[in-house]
Amino acid sequence: MKAALPPMKAALPPIRPVLRRVVFSLSVLLWAAVMIYFYESGRIVKYLAPDFRPIALAGGLGLAVLGLFNLLTAFREVDCGHDHGEGEGEEHDHEGSDMNPLASLILMTLPVGFSAVTSTDSFSQATLARKGLYENVQPADTPFLASAFPAPTREEIENTHSKTADGYLQFSLMELFFATGDRELQDVIGGMQIETEGRIVMEKNDNPNGTRMRLYRMFMTCCIADSRAIPIILEFSKEPPLLPDNGWVKVAGTMTFPEENGTLKAVLVVTRATAADVPPEEKFLRR
Amino acid sequence: MNADAQQDFALAFLSILFEGAPFILLGTLISGFIDIYLPPGTMDRFLPKNRNLAVIVSGLLGAVFPVCECAVVPVIRRLLGKGLPLGCALTYMLAAPIVNPITALSTWKAFQGQSPLAMTSGRMLLGFLVAVGVGLVVSRISMRKVLRKSIADKVEADAAKKEHHHDHDYDHSCCGHDHSHDHDDSSKKADDSRLIAAMRSAQKDFVEVGVYFTIGVAITALFNTGIAPGAIWLDSLAGNPVAAPAALMALAFILSLCSTSDAFIAATLAKFTWSAKLAFLVLGPMLDVKLVFLYQTVLRRKFILGMSLSVFAFIWAVAVAWETWFGKLVLP
Repeated sequence: MKAALPPMKAALPPIRPVLRRVVFSLSVLLWAAVMIYFYESGRIVKYLAPDFRPIALAGGLGLAVLGLFNLLTAFREVDCGHDHGEGEGEEHDHEGSDMNPLASLILMTLPVGFSAVTSTDSFSQATLARKGLYENVQPADTPFLASAFPAPTREEIENTHSKTADGYLQFSLMELFFATGDRELQDVIGGMQIETEGRIVMEKNDNPNGTRMRLYRMFMTCCIADSRAIPIILEFSKEPPLLPDNGWVKVAGTMTFPEENGTLKAVLVVTRATAADVPPEEKFLRR
Repeated sequence: MNADAQQDFALAFLSILFEGAPFILLGTLISGFIDIYLPPGTMDRFLPKNRNLAVIVSGLLGAVFPVCECAVVPVIRRLLGKGLPLGCALTYMLAAPIVNPITALSTWKAFQGQSPLAMTSGRMLLGFLVAVGVGLVVSRISMRKVLRKSIADKVEADAAKKEHHHDHDYDHSCCGHDHSHDHDDSSKKADDSRLIAAMRSAQKDFVEVGVYFTIGVAITALFNTGIAPGAIWLDSLAGNPVAAPAALMALAFILSLCSTSDAFIAATLAKFTWSAKLAFLVLGPMLDVKLVFLYQTVLRRKFILGMSLSVFAFIWAVAVAWETWFGKLVLP
């Protein structure tokens, strides 16, 4: 029967499968373009932890290959090379899908396109609050962090932390926050002259004199969606200096761990606070 | 949705999508190539003759033939027609999306810093036990109580045909159809064709899974950023050892995520207990909104309902028991 068909009809595949392949390829290529763009532009650092960034790039490139390959071969009629037996009819079609091509295009591209265009690469204050910015997070609730920081000695701290020109030991915010759940670490760090950096916001809890602010960074395990705010409290001797709300700052002072209303807190009594450059990494464990 | 909510959604949505998409791609590439290059009868040869042993081995076949839950339903439909026992087919259907190296890798990766080994092995083990349990029960009941009438008819017809073929001692010359495989070694075109067919199959799988993944990620982002109604209520259940697993299982059912990437979403549910996340990760690949629709292409509705309730209750009970007895001993 096939031999009797006019050559053109025999050579060209039906339009519907071709259309479906083209539409599917376009959906895949859009995902590829967005993933590769975010990686190449450097914006990916706000979205994924370092381990996942090359995986995202590989995924984007893989999608580009898949989409382009299928787009370029969309008009080729192929044989899958094996016999499915009699009576299976439509099931022999490895591309058979209940998915409407147009619906799949809309569902796959609209949310991704919308998000890529509207994202400012940061969370609003409301979401930060939801992610623990204003909570007195007890490190005992996050024991996975504990394993990352065994308690060091004072000598070890001085050997492993660099000093600023004016004599402050440079700490990551994580270490200071984590110390609220570790009595040994508090004994070592308490009273030390330290410098650290993070984003600064107004303290909303227990701040009757208005002399307190909060310093935080986001701790990202895999992606920003799973991130948690890691905050400490900044205590100023008088009204805090004018610093950009939610901006990056470097603060220096004396580290203390007072117990307030039955809760142990990490409080830095500030002697200097200055605006700082935005660090290249959102990930917290940056040195 | 105000401007703040839009940017929160966009950030959370893209981050989860970037994280999971490469693993979906990996899974669908593998399933696409299996679809084209693996002869349909191959799996039968891996199974022992003993019925119970065959069910148990079926629960491990995902390690060799990794297929996600979206792809596994059409696969078992085909395998049933090729004579795979029903109990083995359902065991494979429920276990393969969980007990496979891609899911193991993505779970391990997603739970970095949150006991990844315990979560990965716990997920594999519980998924395997549930699937084998269902398979052992199903292998003891009538096929007609499980399969849709049209599928059961076809399976019986295929079985009868197989008998007929055996009677002919594998001489197919009388059947009037060609059983030979079309392997023309002299032509490179055949290889090209198969590669194209595999890539098309992979792309189709990717888009089908990608659509559900997009919807799931969007819903997750809404909950993650507190935009979705009920997000606060869901959070309020997080610390409840009895309600938390049930709440996350209900969430898994609604989100309909792919097993290759659902761990990335579970890992973001920071307020929930370890066992609630385990319940989320075991139930999701076995039962969700999209699977209910897919299952109806093979299984009777009554059976789907019974299986769903049993699987839900069993996983929930295990999660609650774990949290009650062991939850605070070793794991966060």
